[in-house]
Amino acid sequence: MDRIAFTGVGKRYGPTWALRHVDAVFRAGEVVMVIGPNGSGKTTLIKCLLGLVHPTEGAITLDGKIIGGDPSYRTVIGYMPQISQFPAALTIGQLFHMMQDIRGLGPAEVDDTLIKELGLDTQLNKRLSALSGGTEQKVSAVLAFRSRPSILVMDEPTAGLDPLAARTVLRHADRVRNEGGTVLVTSHLMEEVEALADRVAYIQDGSLRFLLPMKEIFQATGEDRLSRAIPVLLSKTVPV
Amino acid sequence: MIKVFKYTLIDLARNRAMLGYALLLLLVSEGLFQLEGDPMKAFLGLVQVVIALVPLIAMLFTIVYGYDVLEFTQLLAVQPIGRSAILGGQVLALSVSLLLAQGFGLGLPLLVHFPTRVALVLTVTGSALVLVFSALGTLIALSQREKARGVGIGLGVWFVFVLVYDALLMWLMFALSDRPIEPWVVPLAALDPIDLARIMVMLEVDLAAMMGYSGALYKEFFGSTGGMAVALGTLMLWIVVPIAFAFRTFRGKDL
Repeated sequence: MDRIAFTGVGKRYGPTWALRHVDAVFRAGEVVMVIGPNGSGKTTLIKCLLGLVHPTEGAITLDGKIIGGDPSYRTVIGYMPQISQFPAALTIGQLFHMMQDIRGLGPAEVDDTLIKELGLDTQLNKRLSALSGGTEQKVSAVLAFRSRPSILVMDEPTAGLDPLAARTVLRHADRVRNEGGTVLVTSHLMEEVEALADRVAYIQDGSLRFLLPMKEIFQATGEDRLSRAIPVLLSKTVPV
Repeated sequence: MIKVFKYTLIDLARNRAMLGYALLLLLVSEGLFQLEGDPMKAFLGLVQVVIALVPLIAMLFTIVYGYDVLEFTQLLAVQPIGRSAILGGQVLALSVSLLLAQGFGLGLPLLVHFPTRVALVLTVTGSALVLVFSALGTLIALSQREKARGVGIGLGVWFVFVLVYDALLMWLMFALSDRPIEPWVVPLAALDPIDLARIMVMLEVDLAAMMGYSGALYKEFFGSTGGMAVALGTLMLWIVVPIAFAFRTFRGKDL
């Protein structure tokens, strides 16, 4: 089932197009890995979906409805950003409570398993200003998963996390997919995410070069690792 | 909006810079009243603090806070709440905390040492200045991507309003004193919120005579209740207009 559809989406910053005419559909029950060089437009793409960036052209639909002024569509979305920064004077527990409160969720409606699994249950009274980068990312991961989202957007989710925590976060992303959710992950570290991904979207210079299932990529290139398959595939595809 | 306001206020209540500002104001106010034998002299010293320091701190604090919470604002913006609710909550929390800091550091000593009508006028105009410069700071922080540039523009705006504009106006009045410029003086003064606040307080302490030719003009206009209402209304405009632009900017802003 199609959940998210980008139709001719473009974003221009001054004279530069960060995204050019992107057409893509993301379905229920899949993990799509969004990859591409630095500054290729990956973050702009997901920010357009999240409503953080307003597309210059085109439209994005979620479950058939064009996303626009009404923020309620974000009820189903969980987002883990690349860089997190929280109000310095609040504690971890207060932040969790705040976001729950803002989303209007009751205690039974939130999923607290990740808090314990990432070892944050013993640090709930810790000030957010005193956190290491890794712990900030763990807090960010909890916030993304806590509202039980059916669409999960993660921007470089493993950056800054220790291997154990990274594996835990990706396992939960896998669970969201298995429960019928849609997961979009941008990552530079292909090996970490490729085991999880169903399809790969490759963006270069703002254009979507391809959006293909993993199996097709491996079959077309004869390679068994994404890091080796991508260059082969790019040399075969016609530049946009 | 109320939820964003509540948690932003909790964060600001523990903000060291905000607490430091409140204590600094208290120290200056108490110091002036303790050092000066005449409470009126101490009060006039405080007027200078309100005219110069309060707008600067309100503006810079708002700008710096705006940049500091940018990533968190992004996180709020991906929640199912509108942009206006986010900005509204943040602006309200900033305004309330700046006003509370001022109430504690300035209002309280005035109430204890100099409980007069003129002290009330200073408190009201000082509060209006806080809101004006916090509104301008919000607009600047939202319009500029770089923090250093935002702070620089904020300093520039403050400097123009606190000194440059006033000097230009004085120069204009003296240079054109042989022409019928009276109708222009009051509207021109209203274009500077600091000038407007200064005039309101000075007229109240009957120091307009010290302001010479312009003082006479101001007294004639602002001396009446209607004139005072116009002055307050103009200060309100100085709050509402930048905030309206800030909301418009934030709604269309790419975060």
